[in-house]
Amino acid sequence: MSGERIFRVARGGAGETARYQEYRVPEGDRVTVLDGLLHIHRYLDRTLAFRYNCRAMMCGTCGLRVNGTERLACSTRLSAVPGRTVIVEPLRHLPLIQDLMVDFEPFFDAWRQVKPAFVPARAPRESGQAPDESVRVPDEPARIAPDAPERQVIDRHRECISSAICYSACEVVSVSPEFLGPAAMTRALCLITDSRGGAREERLDLLNGERGCWRCHTHTTCSELCPKGLDPTAAIEQVKRILVRRSLLKLVGVYRPAASESSRT
Amino acid sequence: MHESLTTDILILGGGGAALCAALHAKRRGGPALTVTVAVKGLLAKSGCTRMVQGGYNAVLNPRDSLQRHFADTIKGGAFLNDQELAWMLVSRAPRMIAEMETRYGCFFDRNPDGTIHQKAFGGQSYDRTIHRGDLTGIEIMERLRDAVLGQDIRVLEDHRAVRLLRDRSGQRVCGALLLDMRRGTFTVARARAVLLATGGGPTMYKISSPSREKSMDGIAMAYEAGAVLMDMEMVQFHPSGIVVEGSELHGAVIEEGVRGAGGRLYNARGERFMERYDQARLERSMRDVVTRACYLEIMEGRGTPAGGVWLDASHLGKEFVEREFPGMVERTRAAGSDLATGRVEVSPAAHFIMGGVRIDERCRTSVEGLYAAGEDASGVQGGNRLGGNGVAESTVFGALAGDVLAEDVVGRAPAASEEGEVRRAIEEVTAPLGRDTGEDAYALLDRLRAMMWEKAGVVREAHALEEAIAELQDLEARAERVKVHGRPQANLEWMLWLNLRSLVVTSALVARSALARTESRASHYRADYPVQDDRSWLRHVEIRRGANGGLGGDGPVVATRPVRITRLRPDQVPAGAEWPGVPVTHDE
Ligand SMILES: Cc1cc2nc3c(=O)[nH]c(=O)nc-3n(C[C@H](O)[C@H](O)[C@H](O)COP(=O)(O)OP(=O)(O)OC[C@H]3O[C@@H](n4cnc5c(N)ncnc54)[C@H](O)[C@@H]3O)c2cc1C
Repeated sequence: MSGERIFRVARGGAGETARYQEYRVPEGDRVTVLDGLLHIHRYLDRTLAFRYNCRAMMCGTCGLRVNGTERLACSTRLSAVPGRTVIVEPLRHLPLIQDLMVDFEPFFDAWRQVKPAFVPARAPRESGQAPDESVRVPDEPARIAPDAPERQVIDRHRECISSAICYSACEVVSVSPEFLGPAAMTRALCLITDSRGGAREERLDLLNGERGCWRCHTHTTCSELCPKGLDPTAAIEQVKRILVRRSLLKLVGVYRPAASESSRT
Repeated sequence: MHESLTTDILILGGGGAALCAALHAKRRGGPALTVTVAVKGLLAKSGCTRMVQGGYNAVLNPRDSLQRHFADTIKGGAFLNDQELAWMLVSRAPRMIAEMETRYGCFFDRNPDGTIHQKAFGGQSYDRTIHRGDLTGIEIMERLRDAVLGQDIRVLEDHRAVRLLRDRSGQRVCGALLLDMRRGTFTVARARAVLLATGGGPTMYKISSPSREKSMDGIAMAYEAGAVLMDMEMVQFHPSGIVVEGSELHGAVIEEGVRGAGGRLYNARGERFMERYDQARLERSMRDVVTRACYLEIMEGRGTPAGGVWLDASHLGKEFVEREFPGMVERTRAAGSDLATGRVEVSPAAHFIMGGVRIDERCRTSVEGLYAAGEDASGVQGGNRLGGNGVAESTVFGALAGDVLAEDVVGRAPAASEEGEVRRAIEEVTAPLGRDTGEDAYALLDRLRAMMWEKAGVVREAHALEEAIAELQDLEARAERVKVHGRPQANLEWMLWLNLRSLVVTSALVARSALARTESRASHYRADYPVQDDRSWLRHVEIRRGANGGLGGDGPVVATRPVRITRLRPDQVPAGAEWPGVPVTHDE
């Protein structure tokens, strides 16, 4: 037990300037920032608004900024937050609904841009075309060894819980809101690497475009803060390498679109 | 006073059942069919499918068989399953796995030869649980969400259904009243058919595992709309919720795979107590057996001071535990202990409800226009759900419901709800916002949870259940006097109060059904009737709303109905497959 903490919580709704309200929260040795907010809500202020569902690091809805750094409220133990004061603010780059509760729409809008829905690649690979709905989906799950090269890439970059923590922390999104952001591009890398999937060229064009990977300045904040320990910076770097190779091959006229990155190799 | 929208199909919920239903409805119904999903939270982020850790049961290996999966499911459910629904579960699950892999791009863990890996899970005669590490639900829900984003499906996030709306006859459901949780406003959603996929969620107990927003809303709404509910006494308690006093993490579960892999349970005296409850299977025994064992150890004074027992997997090796259960290790570390290197304090936690809205093989409820799938529905799991059969149920029956809905709405005229009903519902729901003083929602929830834990929990008996029923009438009245602070916009206390209301109603249905079942079976254990009685009780307890509503007097109407035993009779269970824990009376 280490006594009491001061929570300075950003309050206010859409379009208002945040005002900071202070609450005294008792600190147990196993409690989290989420527990602190629930304490405030129950005992000090019933009007505080925030978001959470699973409370166990799976839903990715309780992201916020603790002393200026993006965190999941449920997995941030108070004992790990230095100092007496805990400043709690909503995620950035997402419209505020109320207090700490945000609307994830811009994050998912960027996500939607990379065509996150899996497109089965049973199409003739030569043409690089994605099959349409009339193509029968193979009934059998593909045989893919756990140590297949594509899985080494994908396994490192999946398991995103779409918490929008990287999106909030990204300095490029701050300057250029149209930037797709780290999570969406990480999803895109998984999709273009998956040998079962198609629609690779479309996605590559997108990643190569205005909103895409070239805007990334490799700040690496996303990789430092990902609550699941993913490395979006590395994913974006890999996307850049794929694109460079693609344009070189195109330049010398030997580029043949493939369904997925791994079916090229 | 409210906004309106019209849609062919209205799906309530944003978990596995809801998303599979939306995808299938759209696929079957084509571009002309309008599908709307309303979810209490964010799409695919709220709900328990997201929280699935252990995995998904389906027969893939030729050495396994549908018959075995079926028999395991029926044995696990102690013959209370509707056998046709249970057969649909096991026979469709393999196709659903293929669909998730080949159509939505899920990728489950593989064997060295590239085929899908299947692991051991409690109560199963074959290793058939498909998984993605120990966080399978994230893989499934993220990919289902991505698939939904690729379709023309209308999604209303932070829209909570508060009431099913009926047409003038009162016999047909024709939509739902939705509360926009952000703006605090109401929308009447008119639909040709409504699917309940709100995922049950027995959070009316002191310790419970589900996603925190779940509060039995769908079942409560179906009850209010007059639907027949079934097996409501069958609440599953997970044996191992983490004990973290004073933290919301309390009740988050350590998946059963840890026991499947060799994790052991000890009481405070250091005894490996499962030796006394199921010598053969020990910690790999069925969920209800392990739960009752833990509960009895704690109640008989052999638990830890904080009211738990110890789960220990450290003998399996730090590396192994970290590799096999990274999510669980992370979770225990967040709670200040460490599954990989030491023991973890756990207690039974309310986890899942097998009971719910009665459905037929087309997910139809007893009320026209109303369908149910997933945890809101009943019959599939019987008296106890095997680990790994829950997500199978929500995806298999969600998909089925989607197909059925798309067919059923063709040619069905939309009906109008009654404006008076809408107005009354809005008045009722907004009433606590206007009060100057009143009861406290948190205090009532605490009371409810402590009371249900004690009187209608893991071990039950008539006297305590009667007390629970009386107390629930009192809580029902007090809940109507709650004061909610602040404005309607983004009001968490208001949501808490609405949760309380659903939980009080459904708690009464649990307690009444539990009182009616005068035997012990699977998850339902009666200290005053400790024996499973197949002669009188191969029957469902059904419950529905009485003419006058309310929980008091002649409120809910209880009846029983024989179980459909169409494929496997209790006397066909292979020798040596006794139900551990509960002695069985055999029919002559
Ligand atoms: C911690 C945990 C671990 C589990 N692990 C496993 C496992 O390993 N294997 C397994 O098979 N099963 C497991 N289960 C069970 C499994 O999660 C459920 O059986 C299954 O996910 C239920 O799916 P569903 O679609 O019915 O409900 P859910 O996935 O819970 O979805 C319900 C949805 O409805 C929404 N909702 C609720 N009320 C309303 C309302 N009033 N209006 C609108 N929307 C509403 C919720 O917000 C949510 O989006 C686990 C459960 C828990 C709690």
